[in-house]
Parts: sequence; C-alpha cells; structure tokens
Amino acid sequence: MRLIKIIKNIYRNLYFTLSNVVKPAVTIKYPQEKRIFPDKLRLGTFGLTSDKETGEENCIACKLCEKICPSEIIEIDIEKRDGRGWAKKFNLDLQSCIQCELCVQVCPVDAIIMMKEAEKPTTSRADLFLTKTKMMRNAEKLEESWAKGSILQESHSPNLGDKND
Amino acid sequence: MFNSFIEFALPIFKTISILILIVAYLVWLERKVAAKMQSRVGPYSVGYPHGWLQPLADALKLMTKDDSIPKNSDSLLFNLGPVWIMVVSLASFALLPFYFNNPMLNVDLSFMLFIAISSLIIIGIFISGWSSNNKYALISVLRMTAQIISYEIPLVISLLIPCILIGSLSFGEIIRYQEDTWIIFYPLLGQLSFIIFFISALAEGNRIPFDLSEAESELISGYTTEYSGIKFALFYLAEYVHLFGICVLGSIIFFGGSNGPFFSSNILIVIKALLFFTLILFIRWSFFRIRIDQLLKFNWVKLIPLSFAGLLLACLLKYYMDFSSL
Amino acid sequence: MEDRIVEKDFGDLAVNMGPQHPSTHGVFRLKLYLQGERINKIESFLGYLHRGVEKLSEKLNYDQLPPVLERDDYLSPTSNSLGFVNAVEKICDIEVSRRASYIRVLVAELQRISSHLVALGTYGLDLGGALGGGASLFLYCFREREKILDIMEDLTGTRFHTNINQIGGVRYDIKSDSISKINKLISDLKPILEDYTNMISNDEIFMKRTKNIGVISKKLAEESGGSGPILRGSGINFDIRKNKPYECYSEFDFNIPTGQNGDAYDRTIVRMKENVESLNIVQQIIEGIPEGDIHSRKPLKSPKLTRPPKGSSYFSIESPRGELGFFIVSDGTSIPYRMKIRAPSFSNLSLVEKLLPGTFMADSVVILGSLDPVFGDVDR
Repeated sequence: MRLIKIIKNIYRNLYFTLSNVVKPAVTIKYPQEKRIFPDKLRLGTFGLTSDKETGEENCIACKLCEKICPSEIIEIDIEKRDGRGWAKKFNLDLQSCIQCELCVQVCPVDAIIMMKEAEKPTTSRADLFLTKTKMMRNAEKLEESWAKGSILQESHSPNLGDKND
Repeated sequence: MFNSFIEFALPIFKTISILILIVAYLVWLERKVAAKMQSRVGPYSVGYPHGWLQPLADALKLMTKDDSIPKNSDSLLFNLGPVWIMVVSLASFALLPFYFNNPMLNVDLSFMLFIAISSLIIIGIFISGWSSNNKYALISVLRMTAQIISYEIPLVISLLIPCILIGSLSFGEIIRYQEDTWIIFYPLLGQLSFIIFFISALAEGNRIPFDLSEAESELISGYTTEYSGIKFALFYLAEYVHLFGICVLGSIIFFGGSNGPFFSSNILIVIKALLFFTLILFIRWSFFRIRIDQLLKFNWVKLIPLSFAGLLLACLLKYYMDFSSL
Repeated sequence: MEDRIVEKDFGDLAVNMGPQHPSTHGVFRLKLYLQGERINKIESFLGYLHRGVEKLSEKLNYDQLPPVLERDDYLSPTSNSLGFVNAVEKICDIEVSRRASYIRVLVAELQRISSHLVALGTYGLDLGGALGGGASLFLYCFREREKILDIMEDLTGTRFHTNINQIGGVRYDIKSDSISKINKLISDLKPILEDYTNMISNDEIFMKRTKNIGVISKKLAEESGGSGPILRGSGINFDIRKNKPYECYSEFDFNIPTGQNGDAYDRTIVRMKENVESLNIVQQIIEGIPEGDIHSRKPLKSPKLTRPPKGSSYFSIESPRGELGFFIVSDGTSIPYRMKIRAPSFSNLSLVEKLLPGTFMADSVVILGSLDPVFGDVDR
C-alpha cells in the first residue's frame, strides 16, 4: 500500500543520513593539517634551473617557451656572449598562467620547470610577477615537480617499444 | 513600589535571559548536527576545537552591519515587523512551565491561550513582507500566510485529543495526569495525535519538508530579503524561539513534562524539548521540500479529515468511559 | 449605490530571475510573467559569459589551442579537447596508437562520471534548498567526486583541466601504481553509485516533484535539436558512441539506458544509470590496456608546429551534455582559418521556451536543472 511505501521511504532516507554521523569527517583542518601533494603537481610557481656541476644557468634564451605560451606571459631579452645565448631579462606574469605546462614541454635544455608547492596567498600584486632572480631562487629552495622537458619529449618519441613503465 | 516592580520583573528577566541563551546555542547545535550528518566539521575555529564561541561571533558581526531601509517602503511597518515577531514569540513563553515550578501566568485555559498568542506571529511576518516593497518578498509572504493559517487547524485539533481524554486544558492538570504513563503510549489515539501534531509543527515552524516560502532557491530569501543587521538576527532568533516553544509544548503534552522515566524534576522539560528538537533537525537535513499546491492539498484533503476523525473517536471514548461507569 | 471598487486587471507580474541567482546554474537571465503562480510567457537573455573563443582561435596555433578550449565546457574539460584533436587528426590523416586512444577514453569517461555527479548534486540543491536535504545530497555527491579528482591529480598533475590530449597522442602515461589506484576507485564507487540510484529513484518527494514535469515528447525531441540525455530520456535510442563510434569505443561492451516518458525524472535517472555504465567501460580499459607508445608524431621539440593540408572537417563526440562538434577550416598554415563549435547546451537550452509556459513558478527551477546547461558551453 502507498502508506507502507512512504514509511519505508522515510526510514531509508533517515538511515542513510544518520549512518553518516558515525563515519569520520573528510575535512582537512588547514592550517593545522596540510594535504599531501602528488609528484606531478602543476599548480605552483616556476623555477629556472642551473647546471649541477658548474653552477651556470641552463637557459639559452631560445624563446621557444615565449612563442608557445597561449596566454603570452613570458618576456625574454637575449644577450649573446661566449658562444651561447644568455637571458638578460626573464619575466613571467603568474597571474595569467593557465598551468598548461606547454613551456616545460618545449624547453630543449630543461631550464624552466614547475615547482611542487602551491602558491601562497599574498597581498600585493608584485609578488605574483616573477623575475629571473626570483625564479632562480625558487629552483634552489623548493622541491621540483616530476615533469621536465627532456622526460616528456623522450616519452613521446614514436617507436619506443616496451619502454613504458 | 519599587519592590513590587522588581517582584514583577525578575521572573520575566530570568526567563528571557535563559531563553535567549538556549536559543543562541540551539543555532550552534544545529550547525554541528548538520555537519556531522554531511561528513564535515561544523564551526571549529572560533573557540578551537569545537567552535563554541561561534554564536557570539555571529551576533557581533550582525550588529556591525549596515542597517538600510528601502526607499519606497513604509518605514514604520518595516521596523515594526521583526520586533512584533520577537515580542509575540517571547510572550507565549509566559504560559509554559518552563523553568520554574509554576508558569508566570497560571490560568485554567493556558493551552488555548498559548495557541492564541502564538497565532499572532503571522501578522508580523505579513507586515514585514508587505512593507519591503519587493516582489520576491510579496510572493513568499502570500505563500507563507496560506500555509500557516491552513496548518493551524490540525495543530489545534490534534492537541485537543489528549485534552479531551484528560478532561482539562491547563498545563498543571496535564502534567499531573501523566504521572503513571505518558499520553503517547495511549493505545491508538496517542500515536495518531502525535503524528498529526508533528506534521503540523513542522509546517508551523516553516521547516523542511514544508519550507517553500522561506529558504528557497527560487525566491532568494523570502520575506527577509531586504533586512540586514540586527533585524535579520531578530528574525532568525524569533524563528527558533517559536519552534522551541512548540517543542516544549509537545514535550509537556505528549512526553510527560517533568515526569521522567525514572525521576521527576523540572529540568526534564528542557531536556525532552531538546531531544524533540534534535528529531526535527534530523528530518530537516534528510528530505527535499514539496511544492505549495501539493502542501495545501495534503492538508485539506488528508490531514484535516483524519484529525476530525480522531477527535470524534476521542469524544466517543470519553463519553463511553464516563457514562458507562455511572 | 454604485460600485466604488472596480476590478482592474493589472496584467502579469514580471519577476526577474537575474544573472546572479542561486539556482540558474550559471549566469542566465530569465524574465517570468506570472499570473498567480502560473507562468504565462518568458523572455531569456544570454551572453553573460561570452569570451570570444572562436575569435581567439584565429590567432593561436593548433598546438596552443587544446588548453584554451578546455575552458569551454568547464565541467568535463577533456571532452572539448578530445573533439578538437580528433577533428585536426581527421584533416591531417594521423593515426593514433591504441594505447593513446585507451588513455584518452579513460580520462573522458572518468570526467563523464564527475560531471553527472555535479549535475545530480546541484539538482538536489534546487529541490531541497541550500539549507536542508538538498545540501546533504550535494555534499555526498561532491565527496564521491573527490575520489575521481584525486585520480586525475595522480595521473596528470591538476585536478580538473588535465591538458592530456595533444595532436597525435597523449602527454602523460599510466604507471602500474596508478592502475592499482584506479582499481580501488572502481571497487569503492560501484556500490555507492548503485545505492544512490536506488535511493533517488524511489524517493517519494523526489518523484512527486519531478514526475510529469517538463515532458518532452518524442516528436519535440527529434525536431528541437536536443541531444544527449534529453533524447534518451524521451525514449530515442541514439548515442554517438554506439551509432558512429570514434576512438576505440567499438571495442567495449556497454548499454545505453533510455527512459519512457521524457519528464524530468527520466532524464535524471538516465544520467545516474550512465554513471554505472561508464564505470564498466573504465574497468574494461584497465584490464585490456595494450602496450605501445603514446604519441605518433615527432615530439614538440624543434619549432615544428602542426600544419594541416588545406581542407575542412567536422567531428562530433558525445560529451555529458550531448553532441559536441567541431568544424575546422584550414588553409595550410599553422593557424586555423575558422573554427566553429557546435555547443550542445545551447541547443538544449532553446527547449526552455516550449517547456516553461503553463507550469508553476516552483517548477521552472526543476525543469532548468533537468536540462543541465553549462553556461561556459552556451556562451563560449
């Protein structure tokens, strides 16, 4: 009868919500607890790497990342010395970045990489405009994400066979 | 003369202060229970770790907000609305044996007077919705008026059934009658009248599933759309005071009042009212809401004939019991 | 005594559900002309979220476009770039490897489940109110969706706009510990999704509010240009994944749920049953993923951008909202000459003019929620 159906329905709804009372909550109480970030995190800031042995910068100012960025946030000034190019000015406007990682994929020398730390909220816009010194400091201090230009390009080469894992 | 004034004003002051404190923490209780049912943590940061200072923070925030009156509204009625609702809700507590042994106003017809006073609330809601000069408030208040005056009939009739069986309308008599068993354990009529009372209490207090005029997703915020600041806080608290009054009424008439399962004292009225309120909360956070025409149709077609049938049965039973023993 | 009080007809009451509203699912302005509680006439205004994506595509390269196009239908982003990449590969005649195709379908199906969970959760908010039973349903759906988003983050790095599709293949690869995580997700989600379907389809108040509301007959559904769960809710058995299969869908075994009456109840139930079918597809992918490479053209290393030959093509896929199509005209350079997007939510939303007049005002929200529009897709 319809009345029995209504009573069954009320009982089932109440049981469903009340059985949640005994389960633990899923909230992470920031800032007392923090979330664990995965390896490939793409949310954070950028860094400019340097060579591990000699300590000189990797970036040869080929301007590939400037051309491929869809939001046009990178600005590079090139200067030629000692047979290779150096980046005199490397500006990155972090406010307009859409985190597509195309600049990392394109870089031939693994210079620009993303760092594995979420952006900290700030109160002035100047903190979100990254210059070359800031990015070099980021690469020394923070942890790196997994994705680098050479890794991505190598996994994309056709006819790799069974090198996947 | 000053002495008699203090004698007159002191119980009122004591009751109102305890009541406001309880109601402010009812809001906290609701947020915590709702959060538990949705697998999250309610307020936890103000007064870490359980957020027990949250009502204070809310009250301070609402007091510092801008208090604006719409341009073409009737400013006397606009300011009067929330005050009216709060005063009437608090006034109905004069009849309940809430905290002390005797209620402040001890009359023979206390139950009827309670219903009569608390039915003045609809006037306050109507004038605040009308004077807002806002289409959303108007539609919401029209719906709410239809709903509240329709659901007062089953509320009164379902509360009359126990009163007929007991034979009196005053709260003291009702509590004294339930020293052995509670009314809710009476064979058929106890449960029937409790169910009808529960449904009408949800509709009178504008609670889900009968909440279409208030916190709706179509008409933003109903009759409180144009209010901000301390007037909004008054609306919010007055709704909880009215609902708590109905909970206390239910616990007195159906659950025995101060006669508990093992011992009897006055604090049990408040505890039973809180448990009843928690049951209403569980219903609120588990169901959807029904449409206004389905709501009214349910009342006039199904609920009122049922309550009249129960009343008739109670009258016949009482006649049979009284006159068969003669 | 003459009559002093004259009954004057004031006409209809015009109520504006403006661009900022808790339940229009986005920025949408709807003007209702009410007589009592009945709606007589409506007027609708679109375009509050127009960002000019089709004009922007006349300036960006083919390789820069997939991350930008993902912002189109922002509740299932991978389906946008999937359609675009397939359309370009059709002009260029590139054959994608099987492993890449399996990975694309995996991400697309997981995002279909997440999009349908959002649709159900916000529908609960419309029906039950932001303070009430609707909020409980909303939070439960989002709690299940967090598990899917954690898998996305593990695979690609961000939770939402994954940017995994590129012309010629996919960008990231699956490792074996991701596969074990996806197995755990399937075994967690399957009983929960079936439980929700059972509970919602037997809920008394839900049935009372959504049955016989917003009925789209078979004839109207065929003539209107609607697609997706709207067609299938009215009983028409049409799904692009089965009728015109693309990628590797022809290798999987799944059913297409249909409804009978075409009311709001049937459309919601069709969406919930599609969730379970998508989980079946994900399970078949995980069990049968082949070895191979994930990209089939030279990598994006040297400045060699995609230059398709001259020509045009149209390719359509089944997004969670309906048929999403891309029409591309190329003139031999690395920038498209014209790209047109056939948005499913735009054609679905045009049904609102036929469905709303004559119903109650409280039903307008129910009907709008069952059509499931996403305004990034409507306005582009």
